[in-house]
Amino acid sequence: MLQIIDVSHAYGNNVSLRRVSLQVAVGEIVCLLGPSGCGKTTLLRIIAGLEMDYQGSVTFNDADIGRTPAHQREFGLMFQDFALFPHMSVAENVAYGLKRRGLARARIGKQVASLLERVGLDGMGERDIASLSGGQKQRVALARSLAPNPRLLMLDEPLGSLDAQLRDQLALELRGLIKREGLSAIYVTHDHREAYAVADRIAVMDIGSVEQIDTPRDLYLRPRSAFVARFLGMRNVYHLKHSRFTKELVCMALPEEKRSDVVLVHPAGIQLGSSADSRVMTREAVLQSKVFRGGYYDVSVTVDGDTTLSFAAKRVTAEIGAALSVEISLEAVIPLQS
Amino acid sequence: MRSRLRYAKVLIFSLPLAFLGVFFVYPILTLFDISLRPDGALDLSAFARLLTSDYYLETLLFTVYQALISTVATLLLALPCAYVFARYRFRGRSLLLSLATLPFVLPTVVVALAFSAVLGERGLVNDLLRLLFSLDHAPIQLERTLAIIIIAHVFYNFSVALRIMTSYWSSLGFHAEEAARCLGADELAVWRDIRLPVIRPALLSAGTLVFIFCFTSFGVVLILGGIRFATLEVQIYYQAVNIFNLPLAAALSLVQIVSMLFMLLVYTATQRRLHLPQDGRSAHSARPHTLRERAAIFITVGLMAILLFSPLAALVWRSLFVAGHLDVSGFTSLTDKTRASLLFTTPLQAVFNSLRFALFATSAAVLLGTVASFMINQPGAWSRLVDPLFMLPLATSAVTLGFGFIVALDEPPLDLRSSWAIIPVSHALVALPFVIRSILPSLRVIPPSLGEAARMLGARELVKLRTIDLPLVSRGLVVGATFAFTVSMGEFGASLFVAQRESVTIPVVIYRLFGHPGLTSYRQALAMSVILMLVCAGGFLIIERLRGVGVGEF
Repeated sequence: MLQIIDVSHAYGNNVSLRRVSLQVAVGEIVCLLGPSGCGKTTLLRIIAGLEMDYQGSVTFNDADIGRTPAHQREFGLMFQDFALFPHMSVAENVAYGLKRRGLARARIGKQVASLLERVGLDGMGERDIASLSGGQKQRVALARSLAPNPRLLMLDEPLGSLDAQLRDQLALELRGLIKREGLSAIYVTHDHREAYAVADRIAVMDIGSVEQIDTPRDLYLRPRSAFVARFLGMRNVYHLKHSRFTKELVCMALPEEKRSDVVLVHPAGIQLGSSADSRVMTREAVLQSKVFRGGYYDVSVTVDGDTTLSFAAKRVTAEIGAALSVEISLEAVIPLQS
Repeated sequence: MRSRLRYAKVLIFSLPLAFLGVFFVYPILTLFDISLRPDGALDLSAFARLLTSDYYLETLLFTVYQALISTVATLLLALPCAYVFARYRFRGRSLLLSLATLPFVLPTVVVALAFSAVLGERGLVNDLLRLLFSLDHAPIQLERTLAIIIIAHVFYNFSVALRIMTSYWSSLGFHAEEAARCLGADELAVWRDIRLPVIRPALLSAGTLVFIFCFTSFGVVLILGGIRFATLEVQIYYQAVNIFNLPLAAALSLVQIVSMLFMLLVYTATQRRLHLPQDGRSAHSARPHTLRERAAIFITVGLMAILLFSPLAALVWRSLFVAGHLDVSGFTSLTDKTRASLLFTTPLQAVFNSLRFALFATSAAVLLGTVASFMINQPGAWSRLVDPLFMLPLATSAVTLGFGFIVALDEPPLDLRSSWAIIPVSHALVALPFVIRSILPSLRVIPPSLGEAARMLGARELVKLRTIDLPLVSRGLVVGATFAFTVSMGEFGASLFVAQRESVTIPVVIYRLFGHPGLTSYRQALAMSVILMLVCAGGFLIIERLRGVGVGEF
C-alpha cells in the first residue's frame, strides 16, 4: 500500500503542498478533490516520481521510493491530456510499456488485444491516434496505463476534457474496470459528482493541504469545514454574528460545547412545508428564485429578510416573491471549522 | 547513474557551443581586433578614414538608399497581392503562394544570372525587341544599373513580404472593412481607414526583414552592379581581397555587424506584435463575385507569373537555345579543362565539390542543430540566453563570416585556410540557424506529458529520446537538413572568401565564368546556374511538402 507522510513542496517561493499525509490501501480508489491550483496534480507527480524535489516520505509496501526514478516505480499514470504518442498507432501506444518491460512480441500482441477488448476498443489497434474521438482517446490512454500491470494506477482528471454526458457514463465504467482489475488507484478531479461516483474515499484539498478525508457519503453528510462544504456545492454556510436567525437555529440545534462560529445548514435537511415535530424548526420565508432542473427545482428563499437558504424541492407552485413556509431539520445544522 | 547521465548531457550540449565559439565568436573577435588594433595597439585610423572619406560615407549611404528603394518597391507590389491572396479563394491559390517562395531558396548567383538572361544586354527581352523592331543594338541597357539591382531584390523578397502579410491579413479577417463599407466608405476610404492601419504591423515587420536582406545583399549587387554600386558588403570584399586593406575591411565589417544587430532588434520588436498562424490558409476568404474582383485576381496572378517565373524561364531558355536553335554546349563543355587559368579546375569538378561540401555541411549542421535545439528546449532561464546566441550567424553577413574565417583561422592549431574543410564548416555555420529554426517548433509542440508518459511506462532517458522525441521531430529534421543542403549548395559570400583553387564551388565558378568575357564562359555560367537552380528547386519541393504540417519558424 502507498503511504505519504508529511510531504511538502514548493515552486520557488510558492508553497504548493504543506505537510500532506495520505494512505491508499490495496484495492482502494482514493480521489484527490479540489479546485485548480490546490496542489493535487503536484501530489500526483510526486507519487509518480516526476517531481523529486520535496520534503517528507513516500513509501510503497513499506519501501521508501523517494529516490526511485519514475520509470522504475511500475506505477501507471493517465494524463489529463492523455499524452498519447501521436506517431504511433493505438496498438503501438498500448504496447509501449510492455516493450519497455522486454516482453516477447507474441505476448505483447496478445495482451494488447485483450486490453483493447477490455476497454471496448477491440479491432481498433491499427487506427491512427488523430482519427479517434475524445472518448476513444481516453480509453486508449487507460489501456496504455493498465498494460504493464501497474502496482498503482494514477489518473489525473481523466475525464476533464470530455463533455458532460460522456463523463457520467465513463466515470462509472472507470470505477468498474479499476475494481475488476483489483487495482489501487489515485484519481484526481475537481468535480465532486465525479469523485462521488468513482471513489472509495475522497481527500478534499485546498491550497496545499488536505482538509478532509472521508467516504463519499460521510463527506457529503458531514463536511468538516466551510471550504469543503462550499466546494461540494453547499451554499448555506453562515457566520453566526451576521444573522439572528442562524444564531437562534444553532441555539436550538446544538449543545453549547458543539457550537462554533460558522455552521452549515445542510440542504438535505430543508424542505417546503410546516411541521410540529420538535426536531424541526418551521419558519416563514419569501421565495427568491426557483430553477427547474428536470426532476427537481433548485430553490432559494429568504428568512427574516437577511438569511438565504438554498435547497432542492420536488414541486414548487408558489410564484417568486410569494410567502411560504420552510421546515429545517435540526440535524441539518452542522458546526464547521472556519 | 544519474550524475553520469548529467555529465554526458553537459558534454554533448557543449558541442554546438564549442563550434559556435571557435568558428563564429573567435573570427568575429579577430575582426574586432584587426579593425581596432591593426598593429597591436589601439588605432582608430581605419574608422577615422571611414568617417572622413566621402567615398566610404557614400558607400554606407548607397547601401541604405538601395535597400530603402528595394524595400518600398517590394512592399508596394506585395501589398495588393497579399490582399488578393488573403481575401479571395481561387484555383491555384495555394500552389502559387507556395511557388512564390521558390526564389527565397535560390542562390544569389542564380538570380543574378537569371536577371541578366531576361533583362541583360544578351537577355531575352532585348533579343525580342531587336527582332521586332530590327534594331542593331540592345534597346534596354539595364546591366550595371541600380534598376536591375532593385528589380532582382524585389524578385527575391516579394515572397517574404507576401507571406507575412497574407497570413496576417487572413488571421484578422475582413469584418472591419465590411462594416466600414456598410457605413458608407468607398474603396479609397477603406484602404486609407481600414486596410492600411490594420496591416501596418505586418507591413512594418515585412519591411524591416526585406530591408535587412537588401542591406546585406552581396551576390546580386556584386554581379549585377559591379564596383560602381558597391554596398558595404561588396566594399568589404573589395577592400579585403582586391586591395588587401584588412584593417579597413575589418572596420567596415564592424559597421556591418553593428547595423545588423540594430536592425534585428527593430525586427524583433515589430515581430512581437504579430501573431502569425502557422499556415497561410484563410478562414475568411471568399470566391470572387464581381468583374473587378476577378480582374484583380487576374492581374495579381499575371504579375507574379511575370516577376517570379520569367527570369527563371529565361535562364533555362538561354542555357538551351542559341539564336533560336537548341545548343547544349554550355552543359557539354562543363568537363572541359580549357578554362584552367580561370578556374584551376573543370566546372564539373565544382559540381562534385559543391555536392561533397553540402553533404559534410548538412551532416554537421543537422547534428549540431539537433543538439542545440534540444538544449534550447530545456526548461530554465539559460536556454532563453542560448537561443539568440545560435541565431547570431543569421545576423552576420556571409561576407563578414568568410572574411573572419580567413583572418582568424590561419594559424596552427586552427590553420584551415588552405584546407577544403573550411568551406563546409562555413556553410554549416550559415545553415545552423535554419536547422534549429526547423527543428525547434516541432520540438516545442511536444507536450511534456508525452515524455512523462513514456517514463511512467518504463522508458529511460535515452529510450524516451529514441522512441518519442526523435520520431516526433523527424519532419523538422528533414526540413532542416534540406535547408542546410540548399543553403550550402548556393552559399556565395563566404565561399568566395574561403574557397581555394581546386575547391571552388558552383556559385563561385558561376561568378568567375560570368565575369569572364566570351560566349563559352557565359554559356557555361548559364548551364551551371540551371543545374544549381534545379538542385535548389528540388530542395524547395521537399521543404514545401513537409512544411504544410506546421514545421519551420520562418
